[in-house]
Amino acid sequence: MLIQAFHLTKVHSSGVKVLDDANFSAPEGSFTAVIGESRTGKSTFLKMLGGEDRPTSGVLRVDHKDIYALTGTAKQEWLSEVGMIFPDLALFPDKTVGENIKVILEAKGSALEGSGEAIFKLLSRAGLGAKVDAKPEALSSGERGMVLALRAMIFRPRLLLADDPFQGLDEKAVATLFKLFLELHKAGSTIVLSTQQKAFLTESKKTAGDAVLSWVKLEKGKVYPLEEVLP
Amino acid sequence: MNFLPRLGFVLKEGFQQLLRARGISTAIIVIVAATLLQLSIFLGISRVLDKALGSAREKFEMAIFLAPASDAGDIKRLQAQLAADPRVASVKVVTKEAALQEFRKDPEIDRMVLALGENPLTDSISVILNKDATDRLDDLVEKLKGDRAVEEVSYGKGEWETVSNLSRLARWVGFFLGGFIFLTALFIVSNTLSIALWARREDWILLSRMGAPTWMRWGPYLWEGVLQGFCGGLLVVVLLGAARHWAGLLLQKYGSFDFLLALSSEEWWSLYQTLVLLGMILGALGAFLALQKRWVKELQ
Repeated sequence: MLIQAFHLTKVHSSGVKVLDDANFSAPEGSFTAVIGESRTGKSTFLKMLGGEDRPTSGVLRVDHKDIYALTGTAKQEWLSEVGMIFPDLALFPDKTVGENIKVILEAKGSALEGSGEAIFKLLSRAGLGAKVDAKPEALSSGERGMVLALRAMIFRPRLLLADDPFQGLDEKAVATLFKLFLELHKAGSTIVLSTQQKAFLTESKKTAGDAVLSWVKLEKGKVYPLEEVLP
Repeated sequence: MNFLPRLGFVLKEGFQQLLRARGISTAIIVIVAATLLQLSIFLGISRVLDKALGSAREKFEMAIFLAPASDAGDIKRLQAQLAADPRVASVKVVTKEAALQEFRKDPEIDRMVLALGENPLTDSISVILNKDATDRLDDLVEKLKGDRAVEEVSYGKGEWETVSNLSRLARWVGFFLGGFIFLTALFIVSNTLSIALWARREDWILLSRMGAPTWMRWGPYLWEGVLQGFCGGLLVVVLLGAARHWAGLLLQKYGSFDFLLALSSEEWWSLYQTLVLLGMILGALGAFLALQKRWVKELQ
């Protein structure tokens, strides 16, 4: 999906200006990492791209569409192509890990044939195959984070928005998840992720190989290409 | 392709919710069952009275006593006139001799007739009326009473009207009391389901953010309500079935109260079906009302 944002401003109800005339664009099939310190508005920015936090002013187009003008079926259709990894998009506490992943296929109206096997394979790749029938309460916070990420990727979204997806994951899990992101990216998905971990920058460049990653930094309400802010 | 996985989710989720929140589900099932049990009393009474009314209508007869001066020509004329009336099912002439013979079967009356020394009866015409004619007979009766060959017209208007009024009264009382009970239960069921909905509001929001359509979020709650209503209905059917069995044995023992179980097996079956259906409607309506609350709409 093509994302174009011009002069985005977001002022919270408390009066805090999170985004101030920010511009951002992500071509179809691109992989963009947004870095920034804590409380710089990365989550707000990603939620804005996901249609969950309306900008105070500015223009935001996804595939040339104003996603905030979409309602009803049109909005559902749009959402059916978007995967979101947001910390507050929790797992269903009463469902097993497998069911938690399957529910997104049902919500998006995807075909369920062979879904059980696909879910198990994906969980196995992330080292969670044995946890397919476990309830979220039996998982560590890192494992829960991984399941959240897998849930957002199982249906191969055209746009994946991931807010700090590596938070709480160990080094091995970060590498696994990043690999899965790259596979999705190679399959044509547009990915925008945010992270606070600067160390991840070097590591990911190493892991990504030939993959083209764009890096931007969110600072003082504006989005900068990383080269401009790096010393 | 989009519909079936979502429908599958709705059916499975509604069923799982029923089992997951056992406390709330049990409370709703008991409320529905208690309501239906009370409604079954009104429905049962109404059906028994309807049956009595129907039976009274079937036996509805009119006796036309002829004046002593009437002759065979008058009888033929009246017979033809009545036979042509669409409200009349059959016409039978009873001569005063035949009537006397019938009366004399009672030894008491026989003694009285012997004492009189003559036949005090008149010729009469016995008319069986059609079932649907019972409400509109006044003009026919007036016409007959005005005929010079007719001395008196007798029909069980008073009795029939009593049964009819009783049935109507029972139906209205049942309608109002039953309606009141139903609405009260609806209020309780809807508020109890609201509690369940509140407890699962996070799941609702999650589904919404995942892009699930509105009906997919509503569906499990409606389906859960229908299932709870069905279970409540089933519970009442079991209770009534057992009550019918034991009451049957008891009534047989003490006799004379069989009319309390005057419904046929088909009618009981139809009552059971009505109760289960009412239970499902109560559950679905309760869930629907719970979903109409403002805070639920704000979850979207």
